[in-house]
Amino acid sequence: MFVNPWSLALCLLSGITLFLILVACKTAVKVLRHWDPAADSQRQIELESEIWLSSTLVQYGLAFQIISLLLYVLAADHFSGMLSGAMCATGALLANDYGLPLLIVKIAGMFLYGLWIVLHQLDISSEKYPLVRLKYILLLLIAPLLLADTALLILYLQGLNPDVITSCCAVIFGEGDKGAVQNLLGRMGSQTTLGFYYSWLALLFVAGFLAWRRQEIILYLLYGTAMALFFVLALHTLIAQLSSYIYAMPFHNCPFCMLKREYGYIGFFIYLPLFATAFCGVMPMLIHLCRARGILAPTVARLQKKLVAVSLFALALYAVLSSYPYLLYLFRGGEG
Amino acid sequence: MLIELTDIVKIYNQGEVNEVRALEGVQLSVAQGTMVCLKGASGSGKSTLLSIIGCIYPPTSGRAVIAGTQLARLPDRFLTIHRRQTIGFIFQHFNILPRLSVLENIILPLMPLGFSPARRRAMAEPLLERYGIHHRRNFPAGEISGGELQRVAIARALINDPPIIIADEPTAHLDTHLSREFLATMRELKGEGKTIIIASHDPLVTEDAGLDRRYGVQDGRVTQDVC
Repeated sequence: MFVNPWSLALCLLSGITLFLILVACKTAVKVLRHWDPAADSQRQIELESEIWLSSTLVQYGLAFQIISLLLYVLAADHFSGMLSGAMCATGALLANDYGLPLLIVKIAGMFLYGLWIVLHQLDISSEKYPLVRLKYILLLLIAPLLLADTALLILYLQGLNPDVITSCCAVIFGEGDKGAVQNLLGRMGSQTTLGFYYSWLALLFVAGFLAWRRQEIILYLLYGTAMALFFVLALHTLIAQLSSYIYAMPFHNCPFCMLKREYGYIGFFIYLPLFATAFCGVMPMLIHLCRARGILAPTVARLQKKLVAVSLFALALYAVLSSYPYLLYLFRGGEG
Repeated sequence: MLIELTDIVKIYNQGEVNEVRALEGVQLSVAQGTMVCLKGASGSGKSTLLSIIGCIYPPTSGRAVIAGTQLARLPDRFLTIHRRQTIGFIFQHFNILPRLSVLENIILPLMPLGFSPARRRAMAEPLLERYGIHHRRNFPAGEISGGELQRVAIARALINDPPIIIADEPTAHLDTHLSREFLATMRELKGEGKTIIIASHDPLVTEDAGLDRRYGVQDGRVTQDVC
């Protein structure tokens, strides 16, 4: 299903980004072999000019790649209209073996690409390129992921066949055996999940506030780790538990239907803060090592504080928006 | 030394058929508060040397330390800030924008700094007075005389109060009287502690008594200190 505006847009985006990254990998090898900020040689001066252009292009490429996650979900929703049996993006993503792995690669990539962009911004905030080596090592690690992303995308689009019947979300996320709710991530009991989830949420707020207030590595570490775990837990809880209240249907647990018009596009307002809080919550822990480069210490400290603040704000937004239908049900008994 | 160039090489179009080796192993030191002239024929490498001192181009190799920093090798966003604070340019054709008024031309380097219009005008006022062009402040720059144009160019170079003034063939289009007037202004600025670097092959400039050093530039090499 390549001859389709969504497919073409996704392929073009992936192709361009991959091309930019592969070209930048050449620069990365040069940086690893020859980078010497103290030298006045022609090679060093040329390398300084080259990394400026290369890093800028990589930054935009990776930013577009992050956006492609959204594009991919929207495309899957669009494909569902063409695939027999699919009612939403779920059916389209499970139409062959590559849809779901591609989604996971894109989500994982979002964090890595974001980290690279943050490191790049820190690097160019100084006159002396203090993080050049680090960010180009990371780029070399990112390249295989981008390659996998593009390969999976091609395989996925190639494998989409309108004649093959796929499943709709009601079947996939419908009532499973023994009364448990089936979802993409596994099975878990209802009340246990919600209790654990809201306790974790409360812990996060406390850890986040302390990290923002005291700015200590141990607190960034605690908040970052707790946030990474929360991200998985939140996706699980949202799909397995909270989605039923959003749809007002006990056995409808689709992660994608909430992105549709009939649910007021509420999914976007839930997922965006969730991804934002997770990204901004994990980053302060990851960039803390950059404080060791004395020249960057004040900039990193400022950025960490800002990221935790944004993370807390997004977390609050996510908590309110995702819990609102559940709380409404709990206190008013349904949609009122 | 305010300006310290070591083993500077500048090659244009490197590796191509039209490769030009504009500078070759240049060593040059300029102390603060001095007036220096780079003397040489057209195509000798004077303007390239000024461009490297002025951080317009980075050298192909070598070390160019300007006011304590290797300015030309700074990332763009920092280079612009440092250059604006450190160097004032006076170009051969003055590069004045004819449709803008005299005042607007002078305050042009202040535009990206975020000063209020009132502050910009206040900074330009003393220079307009000093160089006798106050009465022309609202005239389009394209309608004033050559001598006034020259003074507008000087005022614009000084608006940020930079420690280094670079002038590339500043008298090439001026008559003798205006050339002398220009040199008198440069001597005055030197007296105020500014470092002046003039590239010229005009004998009026190269023989000026205010110069502390004269360097010959030939075939991309700084050949001698002729003072």
